[in-house]
Amino acid sequence: MMDQFPSFHLEDKVSHWEGSIDMPPAQEGPAGPVQVTVGGNWDLILNLKSEFEISSCAWALGFARDLWRVVLPLESSNIVSFFVFLQLLVKMLLSFPIFHCLGEIPAARWLFSCWDSIFLAGFGLIAFRCVREDQSSVVLTLYYLHNGSPRVGFRIAGREYLLPVGLVLKALIETTDYEISVSLSCCFIEKYRKDKGAVRAPLMRERARTILDDIEFRTRNQCLEHIGKLFRPALSKFDTESDTFVGEAVLRDYILVHLNNNHEKFNLLIFMLQKLFALVDQNGAPDNVDALQNMEVLLIGHIMTIYIKEKLEEWLLKGKRQITDEMNKKAKDFEFRNLLLINKIISYNGRGVGRSIESMIRSGRLATLSGLNLLERQGFTIHAERLNYLRFISHFRSVHRGSSFAKMRSTTVRKLLPESWGFLCPVHTPDGTPCGLLNHMTSPCRVSSFYDINGQLKDFLKIRMSILAVLIALGMTPLQPRLEHTGPPEVLHVLLDGCVVGFVASAKVEKAVMHLRSLKVASSSGIPDDLEVGFVPSSEGGAYPGLYLATSPSRLIRPVRNISCTPDRKANIEFIGPFEQAFMEISCPDGGNGGRREFFPETHEEIHPTGMLSIVANLTPWSDHNQSPRNMYQCQMAKQTMGFSGQALQFRADVKTYHLQTPQSPIVRTASYNKFCLDEFPVGTNAIVAVLAYSGYDMEDAMILNKSAVERGLFRGHIYQTETIDLANKKDTTEKVLKIFSRGLDASKSIIDSDGLPFVGQTIHPNEPKYCTYNALSSSSSTSKLKGSESVTVDYVAIDGSSSKKYIQKVNIRSRRVRNPMIGDKFSSRHGQKGVCSQLWPDIDMPFSSVTGMRPDLIINPHAFPSRMTIGMLLESIAAKGGSLHGQFVDATPFSSSTREKGSEKSSEKRSMIDEIGPMLTSRGFNYHGVEVLYSGVLGTEMKCEIFMGPVYYQRLRHMVSDKFQVRSTGTVDQITRQPIGGRKRGGGIRFGEMERDSILAHGAAYLLHDRLHSSSDYHIADVCSNCGSLLTATVVGPRKRMTKDIKRNLPPPPRLANNIICRSCKSSKGMETVAMPYVFRYLAAELAAMNVKLDLHLSNKIGT
Amino acid sequence: MEGVSYQRFPKVKIREMKDDYMKFELRETDASMANALRRVMIAEVPTIAIDLVEIEANSSVLNDEFIAHRLGLIPLVSDDAMGMRFSRDCDACDGDGQCEYCSVEFHLNVRCDSDQTLDVTSNDLRSTEPRVIPVDVAARSLASESGGFDSPDQRLDLTVRVVDPEAYTYDEEVIKKAEAMGKPGLVEIYAKEDSFIFTVESTGAIKSYQMVINAIEILKQKLDAVRLQDTVDADIGELTQHLGRGL
Repeated sequence: MMDQFPSFHLEDKVSHWEGSIDMPPAQEGPAGPVQVTVGGNWDLILNLKSEFEISSCAWALGFARDLWRVVLPLESSNIVSFFVFLQLLVKMLLSFPIFHCLGEIPAARWLFSCWDSIFLAGFGLIAFRCVREDQSSVVLTLYYLHNGSPRVGFRIAGREYLLPVGLVLKALIETTDYEISVSLSCCFIEKYRKDKGAVRAPLMRERARTILDDIEFRTRNQCLEHIGKLFRPALSKFDTESDTFVGEAVLRDYILVHLNNNHEKFNLLIFMLQKLFALVDQNGAPDNVDALQNMEVLLIGHIMTIYIKEKLEEWLLKGKRQITDEMNKKAKDFEFRNLLLINKIISYNGRGVGRSIESMIRSGRLATLSGLNLLERQGFTIHAERLNYLRFISHFRSVHRGSSFAKMRSTTVRKLLPESWGFLCPVHTPDGTPCGLLNHMTSPCRVSSFYDINGQLKDFLKIRMSILAVLIALGMTPLQPRLEHTGPPEVLHVLLDGCVVGFVASAKVEKAVMHLRSLKVASSSGIPDDLEVGFVPSSEGGAYPGLYLATSPSRLIRPVRNISCTPDRKANIEFIGPFEQAFMEISCPDGGNGGRREFFPETHEEIHPTGMLSIVANLTPWSDHNQSPRNMYQCQMAKQTMGFSGQALQFRADVKTYHLQTPQSPIVRTASYNKFCLDEFPVGTNAIVAVLAYSGYDMEDAMILNKSAVERGLFRGHIYQTETIDLANKKDTTEKVLKIFSRGLDASKSIIDSDGLPFVGQTIHPNEPKYCTYNALSSSSSTSKLKGSESVTVDYVAIDGSSSKKYIQKVNIRSRRVRNPMIGDKFSSRHGQKGVCSQLWPDIDMPFSSVTGMRPDLIINPHAFPSRMTIGMLLESIAAKGGSLHGQFVDATPFSSSTREKGSEKSSEKRSMIDEIGPMLTSRGFNYHGVEVLYSGVLGTEMKCEIFMGPVYYQRLRHMVSDKFQVRSTGTVDQITRQPIGGRKRGGGIRFGEMERDSILAHGAAYLLHDRLHSSSDYHIADVCSNCGSLLTATVVGPRKRMTKDIKRNLPPPPRLANNIICRSCKSSKGMETVAMPYVFRYLAAELAAMNVKLDLHLSNKIGT
Repeated sequence: MEGVSYQRFPKVKIREMKDDYMKFELRETDASMANALRRVMIAEVPTIAIDLVEIEANSSVLNDEFIAHRLGLIPLVSDDAMGMRFSRDCDACDGDGQCEYCSVEFHLNVRCDSDQTLDVTSNDLRSTEPRVIPVDVAARSLASESGGFDSPDQRLDLTVRVVDPEAYTYDEEVIKKAEAMGKPGLVEIYAKEDSFIFTVESTGAIKSYQMVINAIEILKQKLDAVRLQDTVDADIGELTQHLGRGL
């Protein structure tokens, strides 16, 4: 398809973005550069290949349409494992979530059915996700049936179809029953039956017979014809072709699509069958679907590619239909060679492709019928907030399991499995709903792509050829064209990118793996450095053995040190993937040997233990001294911190961004802090923290701030908000201008400039005009006022000149709000210790040190420590004290004690951190343990206890009372229920809910209950007819009608006379009573009446009658 | 109650005196007295600072509030501050900071025409009053108080020599050490509760010794105010009565 239409241009005149997406020429690789032209001025060639490029792409698109959304790399699982009831198969599957299996590693899971065996129920299955070169995929599933004949399952446009495996095997190549039978049963060899790792599937021959007996066709042609006949209705695009052709198309497009050769497909299918049977016979362990070992990441470039492909396909089909319609309509006039005419017909088709891609980025939803063989339909994009730099980069390092898992009851997918070691950070995952589903890549982890280290496009064919050559040189027997009749444990199959390429004798395979790894490390070998050498050794009841090699893109890879091949410590970095990692011996300098014994010597070594942490988790100083949940909290809070979100704030137009006025560089920092240059984007301040209970205002995680410190600039910040005002009517494409910016006569000149826009630097208070517009149609001007209760300062006014219209139609107004610390603002240290400012305490009342005269900036309560065990924070305090006294930064990289050189181990082992820092303090006249004698600032007397005091890097979090406080006395009420409305923005109240009501009831505070829920809410006096018991029939008769004039003048209603009110149904005023009730009750009566239910009231003065 | 006097006669001994640094001893008085002096020196000795900033044009990368805040932090030579009024109390101008009794005007007019970043410092501030100019050395005003300690001499055969009683801050380490040596009670530490050593540091806005003088002056004024209230205000009298009755 791409070959036919190498270049595709679409123009979107509606916006200033000329969304032209040029598809790359086919040889550049499917996920190659996508050119996005922004505003006709800049051409950005964006490579949608890795997360970094995604960011730039998101930027470009963001520039174009304020799409501050980023597409998340999605993680998808590799292996399907569920059991299905045969009779319901298709239906069940349709309603079942289909897991993705990425990677060419077949695996299976064997489950017993708890159901009756009459249903032939329980069976295992092997799923295989076949990826075409353009990263579109088709999942092929092999279902095991109890009668021994597996079914091949695949999906066409979302529906699963099943075929007997024998039919597929025979349709693939010209073959004989004998050949199939022998190929299948070759894996079971009687003489190795007792050997370790042997496949013990004695029934193989019988199974092969059932497979073959299952079908009544003999020749390949018959099979193809049968398949073609079956699938012609499902594939709409074939009308005139023969059944054989359709059958071949099915095999080509849906069966093992990553292979081009039918022989290869046949061999792979045989291999899959062997594995299926081996696992069904409990010869091995099922693969874990949720383990990272069997997963790849789904990158946005790949999603986009297949999405664009599908959209283009749709577009072409539509165009084709239109052309044929046109041809049928005026068969004689139609000239196919008339390009203008054809162009015109196709242009009816609209410009849907660009728009649907834009809407996909905007909403994160794939509008697709076929499902693209992806499990997820939505949640592909999230809003890239630039709250601070850490939050921003975390977006690009995050890996999501898929939004459908969030709704699942089971927690198995959320579990932290040992397979993710080194690839996904165990610390950096949010707590709450997305816990364990939204993970973050570790700092050294990256994703393999179409590009090599030098940025050159990889030639996969060449790579595979060179790997094959190496393998053959290492003793692999190539497998062309037929599978040889043998199996494990004598030989192991070699699969390269999901293609059975041969087999190696078990004795040679370990050496071959070693050699391959050394070639990986050597840069000039032609073997890519991110080749995955998944060697699964023969084992007793373990995973199915084999040598699985993968060169494919979108695998997670991480560097480790290969210590087996080269002694040179510098040039031995090898990239490994999660699949091979599970079968490798990697030592980690954690102080022990990891339970490794002599017969499993380590071949690899971790570069540094901090490699298991994400960038954000790596920034927590001495996180190895903290209780682990505290480090998780810190990862969350670091991303909510006010800091430097960007360097060029004055040129930016973020919708909302936070900015700290005087941030500082932390005294205590980890190695990663310098590595990632976070001094460019600092997020906190070194505050002098005293740990003491002072004045009681630091109870329960509250903290006291020194008022003078705040006045000197501690934690001061701003919120920048940009509002875009577009006067142009989106649907109106004419040149007419309806509204322009202009100052009306009534607007105050001190705020609004003559062009209708506010002055830069002007402070606007609530309810003051923000900008002024003039409507040419009604020749009236209107002012737009500032909402909310906070005044803003106009920071910048930008006029968007991209519109072709004569007048200014679109402006960006950036406003700034001062947010100085106040009571109720939230702060946190870097150790998950958050607190709310409870007082801005005067400087003179703060405790002071007798030696230095220093008063702390901040006081926290000592109770924050015992239960939370954030020892790292205490260490930070004391180390920062020593560091600041000596004028040096302190390295707080976690696990540093276990990475020390072996020689100094003995001496340093006993030296605790305090023994290093203590002398630093004493040399400057401070206490060895970091404590100080403080005096009460109020009384001037010495405090009986020594106080722990030192600088701690504190972060100011974005949760501020100014955005949250809610207050209401009287105000708007709901139209229907007449109860006070909710919502902070609208001036509503806080709901006094059921539980609050229960609590008041329990206290027996009846008066309060009545007051809150009735008098202060929807108090209403209703007229009730005691004869018929109706609440709704009361009507006022006679001159008692209240004049609208009176209502307007807000006059009180005239006193009502009882006999003026009659009951409609009783037609009399007798028995009319006034009853006080909540207005909702009347509303309930009305609603019930609408449903033909009458509410009967019985009035009585006595209680209980 | 009447006639009982708690009056003491504190002694001051100056140890060191520079323009921005001063150390003196205050003896024979209470902690309350010393703390009052400290508090007044920190918070109530008047200095001049930029309080009201009017910005005509600001096209720098720093926003108006930021610049205003930075200007407010610049220490200004405040030798005349005692003679001036707080603008909030000023009758002459209703507190809008426009009169000579309560305000000094500064102008900051800087323009950067080059490609390089321009450093704007307090030297660019032009004052209308030659006696009120920015202080060159920026150091934080800090006054501190330190209680001196005396350690009693030896009791057993072991001698404990007190090297510098003032350098010692009560941290129990000596006591712990004595316990570790198997001689508990060897050292006992008592604080001299009526002696205080003051270290006064100044930003340069006022001379450090002037600051102490000013602080004492202000303290006196405050005491005067209390004394005046004592006679006028009936509440205090009542309280004394009440107390008297209670005794």
